[in-house]
Amino acid sequence: MEGILMSILGAIATFLLAFVVGMTYGGIRRKVIARVQNRYGPPIYQNFIDAFKLFSKTTAVHHGAMHLLGPAFLMVSAVVALMIIPVLRDNIWFTNLNFKGDLIFLIYIMTFGPLGMALGAGQTGNPNSAIGVTRGLSQMVGFEIPWVMALVALMIKYNTTSVVDLMNVQNEVGQWLIFQNPFAFVAAILASLGMFRYAPFNIVGAPTELASGPASENGGKFLFTMMSAGSVFAFVKLTLLVDVFFGGASNLIELVIKTFLLYMIPVMYGVVNPRYRTEQAVTYFWGWPLLFGFLAIIYSVYF
Amino acid sequence: METFLEKIKDRISVNFELDRSSIDVERKRVDVQIKKEQIPSILRYLKENMNFRHLMHASVVDWLEEGKFEVLFMLWTPKEKIRVFVRTKLDRDNPVMENLDMIWPQLNTYEREFKEMYGIEFTGLVAPEEFILEDWEGPPPMRRDFDTEAYAKDVFSERIGREDAQDVRETIAKRSGEVIPDFAKKHSR
Amino acid sequence: MDYGIYQDKLTRIVTDIARSHSLWILAYGTGCGAIEVPATMTSRYDAERLGVRGAATPRQADVLMITGYLTVKTLKRVIRVYEQMQDPKYVIGFGSCAVNGGMYWDSYNTIKQLDLYLPVDVYISGCMPRPEAVLEGFAKLQEQIRAGEARGATKYKDNLDYYRGNQKKIIKNWDFPDYNW
Repeated sequence: MEGILMSILGAIATFLLAFVVGMTYGGIRRKVIARVQNRYGPPIYQNFIDAFKLFSKTTAVHHGAMHLLGPAFLMVSAVVALMIIPVLRDNIWFTNLNFKGDLIFLIYIMTFGPLGMALGAGQTGNPNSAIGVTRGLSQMVGFEIPWVMALVALMIKYNTTSVVDLMNVQNEVGQWLIFQNPFAFVAAILASLGMFRYAPFNIVGAPTELASGPASENGGKFLFTMMSAGSVFAFVKLTLLVDVFFGGASNLIELVIKTFLLYMIPVMYGVVNPRYRTEQAVTYFWGWPLLFGFLAIIYSVYF
Repeated sequence: METFLEKIKDRISVNFELDRSSIDVERKRVDVQIKKEQIPSILRYLKENMNFRHLMHASVVDWLEEGKFEVLFMLWTPKEKIRVFVRTKLDRDNPVMENLDMIWPQLNTYEREFKEMYGIEFTGLVAPEEFILEDWEGPPPMRRDFDTEAYAKDVFSERIGREDAQDVRETIAKRSGEVIPDFAKKHSR
Repeated sequence: MDYGIYQDKLTRIVTDIARSHSLWILAYGTGCGAIEVPATMTSRYDAERLGVRGAATPRQADVLMITGYLTVKTLKRVIRVYEQMQDPKYVIGFGSCAVNGGMYWDSYNTIKQLDLYLPVDVYISGCMPRPEAVLEGFAKLQEQIRAGEARGATKYKDNLDYYRGNQKKIIKNWDFPDYNW
């Protein structure tokens, strides 16, 4: 009984942590972009204000059940992924639902949210949404391949499909996986540039040309849900990268430092780059990231 | 240059019966006025035989006092860089002209504009009814006898505090001591 | 003791503060005023530090900026855009053309009193208003929101017949639904 209660409290704590950290990172990103553009920028907590305001708006849009479910799919995908990923090593608060084979499940569930959102966006009937969905799926075709190849390389090398096992491997050897298989890390981080959808890969929600794409009919509470799901999802991706390549984290401060440094890679790449076109984005992912993915697999098999 | 412009003018006047013609050496242009029945043939002649391939602009002047509309076509030749202005006068009460968009397709747009803004009818023009004005029910608004101020006062309510707005033309004339001619008083704003 | 009133009041205060610090604008560039909006948003004046940010679609926006003169043809679209926005929503009339017609006071096609057709919360005067004036307009709107006075959307709903009457008077071919938000 006590164990169940502890698990529930732990799950809530994990979600709150992911929400707060993800939102703050988003605020920091806006500040960084502002500073690069020689502006003062909004306060770091601006995203919380925006989220609260969006939540307090009324919603008088109704396009059908799938449209209502679209942001919910995003949220479900983010939360389920969060529940699978080990946030901290050996901590009673963040035990999570790890199981053998969760790495494969993660690959699946991380594409589930955008697919659900695509269904919801399709029902709004807005032409911008349809174009955004098409672009998003094309881009997903691009970055999923190097991403899966990087993870598969690790699975082959250590003969496991569990994130916890990978973390244990790093503990036993005393060396992070980024040093044991650097090719896999490069492929994964380049794929994550597309996964974050920041510039230059923000072709899905391009506000100036697509009027925010799939989100164009979603205001108020829909947008709040999408924003929260995005923040949680950003935390999930960063934590997964830290777990797999940087040996996880034993306390929250370590986790925040590692994830923040990783988060700055797509942010910094974004602020200095304009937007790609769809075919440019896909060819980008099928260039160097794919090559690094192949190298990672070859390295795993032969060395 | 002057002889060249004269030559062009002569060549036009040999082939067509002109009401009036002049040349402007400084601006490199030939100015001809012609009856409206001859407009299609002169435009086609200038385009095909004299290399005035480019239609720069077409416009309408409302000569209210004469009771005429003047339709003006500006042509340009890229080789010698000379303009030809072809003018014609239409009766203001019954402004009808022949459709010209087979000579230059872009004339279609101009003709739609003239039709909407001045009420000039082009026989054989194939175009949608509305151009810029949407659901317009008043008279063609660019005609000089259409009093925009009265129309605006009638349709749109004015915010309090603008009653002392002055007539720009009169104020400037009063300040500079200029005398406005009688015909210009009513319709110049 | 009834805590409900205090709870409502507290909620309202908190939401109003949040709303005032997060204004997503839909810059409806009707006239020349649209050129001042980029100047306000970019590095020199940086409206984002006040929480002012561009929104991509009417569904996501809070503030509708009417930047310049409004012809009857455009007004029809503006009304449609305004009604697609989600409550609470605010309108900023921008430039002297939006205030009283400006230099188009005798035009046959330009409306001269925006607040007959849409509930305007803040007017920014000037031709053109400089970015400082625009920022002051935003500050004024924020003050109004915090004081709970910027209730344009409620006003529009309550007096819908009045606004509809005025709109239908000048828009001849009324071809959209009676109430579409």
